[in-house]
Amino acid sequence: MSDILTVSGLHAGYGAGDILKGIDAALPEGKIITVIGPNGSGKSTLIKTLAGLLPVRQGEIVLAGARLNEMSAPKRVMAGMSYVPQEYNVFRNLTVLENLQIAREFMSGGRAPKKNGKVIDDELLALFPELPGKFRALAGNLSGGQRQMLAFACALTVEPKVLMLDEPSAGLSPKYMADIFATVQQVNARGVSIFMIEQNATEALRISDTCLVMANGRVRLCAAAGEVLGMQDLHSLYLGDAREQAALV
Amino acid sequence: MISFLILISIVVCFSAILALALNFQWGVGGMVNFGLAGLYALGAYACALLMLKAGMNTFFATIGAMVIVAVVCGVVAFVTLRVTEEDYFAIVTLGVGEMLRLVALNEDWLTKGALGLTGIPRPLGDLVPPEHYQYFMLGLSVALLLGTLWFLNAIARSPFGRVMRAVREDDVVAATLGKHVLWARVRIFAIGGAFIGLAGSLHAFYYQYIDPTQFSNIVIAYAFMAVIAGGRGAHRGTIWGAAVVMLLLEGSRFVKDLIPGIDSDQLAAIRIIIIGVGLIMLLIYKPQGFLREYRLQVDLK
Amino acid sequence: MLQTAFNGFVTGIIVTLPALAITLLFGVLKFPNFAVGAMMTLAAYLVFALNVQLGWPLVVATAVAAVAFGGFLIMVDYLTFKPLRERGSITLMVASLGLGFVLENIARLGYGNTARSFAIELARPFRFLDIRMNREQMIIIGVSTLAMVAMYVLLTRMPIGRAMRAVSDNPALALVRGIESPRIIRWTWFIAGMLLAIGGVLIGMDRALEPPMGSSYLIAVFAAAILGGLGSPLGAFVGALIIGIVSELSTLVIPPNYRIGIPLCVIALILVFRPQGLFGQPYIRK
Repeated sequence: MSDILTVSGLHAGYGAGDILKGIDAALPEGKIITVIGPNGSGKSTLIKTLAGLLPVRQGEIVLAGARLNEMSAPKRVMAGMSYVPQEYNVFRNLTVLENLQIAREFMSGGRAPKKNGKVIDDELLALFPELPGKFRALAGNLSGGQRQMLAFACALTVEPKVLMLDEPSAGLSPKYMADIFATVQQVNARGVSIFMIEQNATEALRISDTCLVMANGRVRLCAAAGEVLGMQDLHSLYLGDAREQAALV
Repeated sequence: MISFLILISIVVCFSAILALALNFQWGVGGMVNFGLAGLYALGAYACALLMLKAGMNTFFATIGAMVIVAVVCGVVAFVTLRVTEEDYFAIVTLGVGEMLRLVALNEDWLTKGALGLTGIPRPLGDLVPPEHYQYFMLGLSVALLLGTLWFLNAIARSPFGRVMRAVREDDVVAATLGKHVLWARVRIFAIGGAFIGLAGSLHAFYYQYIDPTQFSNIVIAYAFMAVIAGGRGAHRGTIWGAAVVMLLLEGSRFVKDLIPGIDSDQLAAIRIIIIGVGLIMLLIYKPQGFLREYRLQVDLK
Repeated sequence: MLQTAFNGFVTGIIVTLPALAITLLFGVLKFPNFAVGAMMTLAAYLVFALNVQLGWPLVVATAVAAVAFGGFLIMVDYLTFKPLRERGSITLMVASLGLGFVLENIARLGYGNTARSFAIELARPFRFLDIRMNREQMIIIGVSTLAMVAMYVLLTRMPIGRAMRAVSDNPALALVRGIESPRIIRWTWFIAGMLLAIGGVLIGMDRALEPPMGSSYLIAVFAAAILGGLGSPLGAFVGALIIGIVSELSTLVIPPNYRIGIPLCVIALILVFRPQGLFGQPYIRK
């Protein structure tokens, strides 16, 4: 079992200082890794750097043997990485169908739609039952949960090796949250490796294989997800507030 | 030759005042004034008309022009308070400037339209003998320029100015301070306007004849070039920028001597092409650019 | 009055092409480009050179010039705006102002200030429903409509059009969906160049060919794009027609020289009270 994605000694940031101060991480092929940590720990910066939205200052990112450092974001998509941002993750002024089409159509290198003329496998589409009925709707008119599902589906149309999710359950109602995580598992079952950062850590860790805990731009802990779930002292600090969730219901 | 240099220097002076006003409105107030040409015209025409039609002397006419332009700027800023996007504000000011030039061109009864106004008096024109007038004018222009520099700098450095600059760079602060900031913006734009009026008045005194063609958009190009060439924010730098730009551009009049056989239309076209290219190259190669963009680059992602 | 409205309609329909060009450029490049007036002028003179000096038929001259001009704008962007891409929109606006000076005066340098016209056959005007129309106006309406239809198909049915709309909607998301922005930018300039070239020819047919021809339309074009909502192609179309008709009708009540005051007021009012125009999205500057 080799690692499909490896990160070594990664440094990155926005302004003067570095936010990421030397991150090491590895995602074995076919597995799910979740990164958790308090606000400001650098989770968001990490995923953006991996996606290509921030330049690498030091260190390396390797995906399936290819070094991503110098590649622009679109080229990383071609290399097999797909990223779902936390917000503004669909094209609101385009229809649902157009959103799905666009990822494959105009990719750098331009992959043609699949042989049967569809942009997304029927099997894969079956994971998103709410979408087909809404192909002609503007993405901006969907509900929050539906938009998230759409963003997810779009990211899958490029047949990625690694799918990166930035707080996929953020702002979703409990129903959609459960749906999202179920979908993550189903997608993973089809062979897509998953790299996730999450605030609702408990739910995320239940479906993950590995967990990375970040704080202050560094990795504090890397362990099996099950172990981390059991750690009492981490619970209140890093696992997001399970009590807040309970209060909402 | 000396005469030429003196005359050029006078032009540099009031062009520099104009550039300082732009720099002030933009650097301290965060408001880009694309209507500079029209407001400059307003200043010149106001001054000239106050003298020619209302019979005021040069001093009061200048004050009058400054007040008029300041009020117009204040009103514009007030009405567009809600426009927080920089470039939308710039477009609105462009519209205002164009409207003013349109009025100058069309309201014949007031401005004599395309014919322009002639015979504009000069400060102390009757008292100072003609052979020495240019020295006097130079001295006056330099004095006014230095006065403008001192005044605008004083405001920029005052607590008021510092708050405004901090607010410029941080919209969140601006939002929380709310109304106070908006009123402050109006005041800043108006103060800048007053100096645009001053520059316009000097323009009228210097040329003694004004018509709408003198106030084309090239004015904006000059002013921006001076501001950029001078480096960000520093008012003194703006003056040097104005001097350099003006010398280069007035110097290009000599191109006619270098290339035989081009007519004056073509020469005019070439000079404007040089200005345009110069402006673009200055933007590309002068890394400081504008104050705000420094911040913008850092905050972008 | 019907005559005035018709004339306004023709003006409006001429304005639709450059208004669309501005809105496309704004959507993808995120800044208002003040050089479009001068671009139309230069393109029109290019067509003049092919049509009058080389003797090509106007249609052929326009088609060739449109493609050439599209390519020309890609080069202009590479030299002028690309180095400034990371800077703020004010810098880009000022650069576009400078570019406008340069382009307009290249035309002036080449052809001087005298008015010219294209080599087309003269035809007598005809009357329809009491409105006087001439052949040029019919051609203008026809060509513009064709161009609009073509643009609609491009933007809604073709991948490049979808990609342009996507980049316009959310540039960062477009990147992570695999869309390379330099490619889209080049295509946008090419298409804008073609629109502006055709627009320039239409202006040259309606009025005369002289150096300020394009710039004189600049305010109206911007007003149309802003009224419709910067970034919305449908808005550009609707906005242009409204501006054209209202401006002409206004001459019935205000002095004709102030006709341009209408677009100016529209610009000011819209930007102050409803910056997104009729169909635009409030732009979230992150």
